[in-house]
Amino acid sequence: MNHALNQMAHSPIETVPPQLQPTKEWLDRVGNALLSLIIPLRSAALILLLSSGFLLLAPAAPSYAQTATLTPQQIVEYALTLEKLEADFYRRAIGAAQTGALRNAPQVAKDVLVSYGGDEAQHVTDLSAVLTSMGGNPDSVMIPANPNYSAILGRDPFANPADLLMAGQYVEDLGVAAYKGQVQNLVAAGDAGKTVLAAALEIHSVEARHAAGIRFLRQTLLGADVRPWIKNASSVIYNENRPNSIIPFGSEAFDGYATREEVLALVKPILMSAPQPTSAPSPRSTAPSTPEDTTIRALW
Amino acid sequence: MRTFLSLSFSEKDQGLTLRSLHFVKACYPSTFIQKNHTMTFPIAPPGNRYFTSRRRLLKWSLVGLGTTLLTSVPSSLMAQTSRSLKPLTFNADDLGILNFALLLEELEAAFYPAALKSGKITAPKEVEYLTAIGGHEAAHVKFLREVLGSNALFKTSDLNLNQTGLSALLTDRSTILNSAVTLEDLGVHAYNGAGPSLKNPTYILAAGSIVSVEGRHAAGVRSLLGRPTTEPDSDRLVSDADLMASLNPFKGRAYDELYTPKQVVAAVGSLNVLNNPINGTLVA
Repeated sequence: MNHALNQMAHSPIETVPPQLQPTKEWLDRVGNALLSLIIPLRSAALILLLSSGFLLLAPAAPSYAQTATLTPQQIVEYALTLEKLEADFYRRAIGAAQTGALRNAPQVAKDVLVSYGGDEAQHVTDLSAVLTSMGGNPDSVMIPANPNYSAILGRDPFANPADLLMAGQYVEDLGVAAYKGQVQNLVAAGDAGKTVLAAALEIHSVEARHAAGIRFLRQTLLGADVRPWIKNASSVIYNENRPNSIIPFGSEAFDGYATREEVLALVKPILMSAPQPTSAPSPRSTAPSTPEDTTIRALW
Repeated sequence: MRTFLSLSFSEKDQGLTLRSLHFVKACYPSTFIQKNHTMTFPIAPPGNRYFTSRRRLLKWSLVGLGTTLLTSVPSSLMAQTSRSLKPLTFNADDLGILNFALLLEELEAAFYPAALKSGKITAPKEVEYLTAIGGHEAAHVKFLREVLGSNALFKTSDLNLNQTGLSALLTDRSTILNSAVTLEDLGVHAYNGAGPSLKNPTYILAAGSIVSVEGRHAAGVRSLLGRPTTEPDSDRLVSDADLMASLNPFKGRAYDELYTPKQVVAAVGSLNVLNNPINGTLVA
């Protein structure tokens, strides 16, 4: 699973123009290669193996979360894309909780969907206003009429409460990491990034509350081995471990980040239109082995 | 005579609480909380000879009585006690901000072992949560001290906790958990508020890495209490009217607003848990 995930996360992305592909990543790779030459012989074989894995799979930025420098407006457009997806996701979940396959979900879970869905809708409204104030056009930030949410789990996430909560956990944890991945770009933008940075910080920790709340529900209602914090890095779909950073992301006391490239690679399959509304009962959700599905299961 | 005894208890008590932080750090080294490891949290903090003997000698239950009697201590004695308190001076720069964050983490890291030691938290799940969260806060302290190195403004032992104030947060299960929510929510607002002032990009990524964990703590403990995981505006220690407009483009339930360090100091002051004076340009 992780292997497949890594492959997806680092596959080429058409949405990032070549000029945004940095040279820093290349420098980091060289740095990794050099590092592997000066390590003690005793662990040389192991580390060489690991660092060659990096060369293929990981951006491996030592302190910087970024491999591409985005402007504040680009970051707002990116954030708005994710928020529109999240808001749409909850909208469909709430619909399914009222009349669809989630109508028998516990009330506490239904309440959470309404509460969090309201937050995401608010984020869309307010980020749209910020984008307009920057001269951008929020209506040009579009998601498909029927996003392919089946890409998250490889099956319809609205078909039962357990899948809904698992998909929600993946989406919210990724949202936290996505905002965190942009704070350095916003600092780099100086005064021009100050307002967007404050906005991003105000949202970022609320997404963490959402992720924690869903994790609590999964632990409490479903007996899942999760906690509100990220006890196990395999419970998220992005790369939690950044061994070259001075920040101990491998500790559960520190949350990881994800770059825009990594997030978009994970989200891209959702942004493909579903052949039919995902919330509707669908034969595809019970037959996940069709060729169609195997091509879109990026988050799996 | 009775009064002097009480004062003596109180002073030792402060030392005990501060040392208990070292105890937590010793018990929960960073390896203990690595992701990807199978972790078994102890039902209660592992036994410690120091703790049990001190507990026997000092009888924590007397702390409340002792601190109540403190009010009858002549003011000259009180002045003597506070004269040795190390002032905490935070400058308005990255090092000042990191030191300020360290102070908040120290307070959180002192709270959880005290909460567990109170014996008022008994449900295994709640013990596990508070134990894990206390471990995270100790890891944050350890990390910030490593980053600050010799630039750390104070040692853990320089902090003088107000036992009356701390005891008031530990009276029963509900008070403990609700106090944890207050501390964690405040930590989220404090880190968010400090973010735009940080210059070093690595520091802000680190702050981001910590603040979302504090948000998870707040949500986790709120969940234990059946409180909403996001913070209603009415729960905030800083009201809408007092929020600094330039720091807060958005307000409301869907956002964790940014507090200024000065507002955070006032909020910490209202909790009455720290005796050290706080000053400096950061909090002016």
